[in-house]
Amino acid sequence: MPDGLPELDPVVHGKLRLAVLSLLITAEEADFTWLRDKTGSTDGNLGAQMLKLEEAGYVAMEKRFAGRKPQTLYRMTVAGREALANYVTALKYLLGAAL
Amino acid sequence: MTNLEPDNEITRADLVQRVALMESMIAEGRKSTVRFGWIFVLWGLIDIGGIAWEYRWPSFRWVWPIVMVAGFAIQYAIFAVRRRTSRPVYTNSVQSRSIAAVWSMMGLTALLFVAAAIVENGTGQIAFVSAILMFVGMAHATSALILRWPAQAAVAVLWWAGGIATYFLSWEYFLSIFVGEMFFGMIAFGLYAMWLDRRQEQDGRASAHA
Repeated sequence: MPDGLPELDPVVHGKLRLAVLSLLITAEEADFTWLRDKTGSTDGNLGAQMLKLEEAGYVAMEKRFAGRKPQTLYRMTVAGREALANYVTALKYLLGAAL
Repeated sequence: MTNLEPDNEITRADLVQRVALMESMIAEGRKSTVRFGWIFVLWGLIDIGGIAWEYRWPSFRWVWPIVMVAGFAIQYAIFAVRRRTSRPVYTNSVQSRSIAAVWSMMGLTALLFVAAAIVENGTGQIAFVSAILMFVGMAHATSALILRWPAQAAVAVLWWAGGIATYFLSWEYFLSIFVGEMFFGMIAFGLYAMWLDRRQEQDGRASAHA
């Protein structure tokens, strides 16, 4: 990597994780099913990626019931918003440098 | 990611792909997250049924209260069935709350307005009919501004035009205006929204895979 170029956060850079963070930036909170439907991913894959985002502190998870049905809700944390903003800045810089 | 080479064509393509992915997901998230197209179709059919009933039985003043209560009961029943048969899909954004607020308050305003008019026997006045059409037009227009959706803005114009037309056309045309509004402004628009929801869902599924 050439000197002076910003690094891209590997947690954000994953395609499905980036898709989820982009969706969550538009919603205050969203449930697992909505995220799965919007991204077209499988339960297993999305669950694994959400866990990585949680471990990084970029999303917060809450379990609750809608009637009798369980619901898993996710919201983006402040750290997640900052990480996405930094990622976009780095992306712009790298694309600018690559042109 | 430490091995990024911006000069590398593949990596650059990858970066561009990431930008496109973010744009499409942000646009996807901003779209209406709850499917309400069927409600427009339902109320269009219910109102046309009410018009037909009133046309056949003009002396019965309780047509519309019965039609409205029946409409809410059917809507509630469909919601209940959908809740039982499908997993809850939930998202909470300022936009979805704004849309829900606009339509629920429009419904409440119309309900109070109609109830007062029925009590005072004022449903046969031009101002009453015009106000109902204007209320719906305003809700569509506000919704269109929030969603930045030209198709819904066109529907709002249609409702407003109907509201204005009631002042300038004779009562003979009223039935045609009302049925036309219900058909184009409710049923056709609702079917279009349902078709759009389905297409967007299919497009969304194709756009993000890890």
